[in-house]
Amino acid sequence: MRPVIWDDDEERVSDVRQAAQPCFQCGVCAASCPVFRVAPEFNPRIAVDEIVQTGTVAVTGREWYCAYCLMCEQRCPMGVALCEILVAIKNLSARDGKVPPSIVEMMDVIRFTGKVSHPSKGTTRRRRELGLPELPEVDAAEVQKLLEVTGAIDRLTRYREAECEPQ
Amino acid sequence: MKYAFFPGCTIADRLPFIEKSIRLVCPEYDIGLVGLPFTCCPEPNSVQSFSQYTWLTMAARNIAVAEEHDLDILTACAGCFESLAMAKHMLDTSADTRAHVNRALANIGREYTGQARVVHLLQVLHDDVGCKGIEERTLRQLRMRVVTHSGCHLLRPERVLQVDLAEAPAKLDALVRALGMESVDYMDKTMCCGAGIRGVNRDISFAVLREKFAGMSMVHPDAAVVFCPTCFISFEAGQRVVNRMFGTEYRLPVFYYTELLAVAMGLEGTESILSGHRVQGTEETVARAMGHGGTPAQAPMGTHGAREV
Repeated sequence: MRPVIWDDDEERVSDVRQAAQPCFQCGVCAASCPVFRVAPEFNPRIAVDEIVQTGTVAVTGREWYCAYCLMCEQRCPMGVALCEILVAIKNLSARDGKVPPSIVEMMDVIRFTGKVSHPSKGTTRRRRELGLPELPEVDAAEVQKLLEVTGAIDRLTRYREAECEPQ
Repeated sequence: MKYAFFPGCTIADRLPFIEKSIRLVCPEYDIGLVGLPFTCCPEPNSVQSFSQYTWLTMAARNIAVAEEHDLDILTACAGCFESLAMAKHMLDTSADTRAHVNRALANIGREYTGQARVVHLLQVLHDDVGCKGIEERTLRQLRMRVVTHSGCHLLRPERVLQVDLAEAPAKLDALVRALGMESVDYMDKTMCCGAGIRGVNRDISFAVLREKFAGMSMVHPDAAVVFCPTCFISFEAGQRVVNRMFGTEYRLPVFYYTELLAVAMGLEGTESILSGHRVQGTEETVARAMGHGGTPAQAPMGTHGAREV
């Protein structure tokens, strides 16, 4: 499947449909899914089936339960890239501002620091005690620029709007 | 061989003792580590799910930075490896995609050319140094029965990453055997540690980890050996949460491979590495494996094993 980088929703949905087409509902993906095993409300088979049956990409919120372990793709006898399909669905739901708060938080940290974690005071001290070198400075302005030109800032804004005015 | 070293946010900011073990062993095998101003890889699940375009462009930027220095990238985290290797695959197999991403990178004066390779430390140690080369440099054997967990993002998608067999990985097992350890097969060996959705749904995430621990505990290992810092945190800190949530009593020491390699090589400074661990009995497990401390290694999980809830 092509990466989701163009801003044409219709094209993306048709990409997803085409990628899901070979599925014949054998269920190996669900049987291999660690999340389905403990939380059957998330079923990769049904996520794909919905697309094939309805021709639309249903954004239910459960698509975010995918842990991206890629076991479903590994075992699919038809070579359907389920994780890629789920990534595409999540990209569509993120465009509408439907994103779990923890992921928004992560994106905000990346936006302002260029990384997903800050070294705590304790870690900085530990690094020094262990004789580890100082880490090269990350240019956060570069990251901000990339987030801006690739539409991530827009998505974060849309999330905040959706959060303020629930439908 | 000199590499652009990509420690990743998790090792650098949360597990500095793992970075220390990498920096101890690499020079011993003439693996040079160069520090470059890398950003977050970015994280393969959440960031890619939020915006695949942003994820791809940030990964392309990191690879471009290494290319500017004519270096290949050496990753130590399965997540960083997955993001950079998958991004590279997408950029190298589609001219359209590459052109699109390079237009974004032009805004910060960078360009992805595709020259740099992306490798994980497991590949360098297993494929380049080789298990024989590892074994020859050990001063002592570590008598320990372990379960290994390479990490999803080091194994899959198999057809692209081609690191090891995704359903029956063997390289980390060969590497632990080179240190004298016994690698025990177990149920759900290639199953996820649950970390990928820890922020999205904590309950589901720890239920996945509970399943993983159930499989490992059946074979009563002395320890688990991983090659990914996220799996390390998931196993080490996560087992306490699993115990709290599900009434189990797991107490399994967890090691990142190069920590044990440094111990087996008899390198200076391994005490300071092991003291960073959180599972009670970790240092004693290593001491016993080295033949110190009298009684032969007792399986902590066998002793304190899972209790039915």
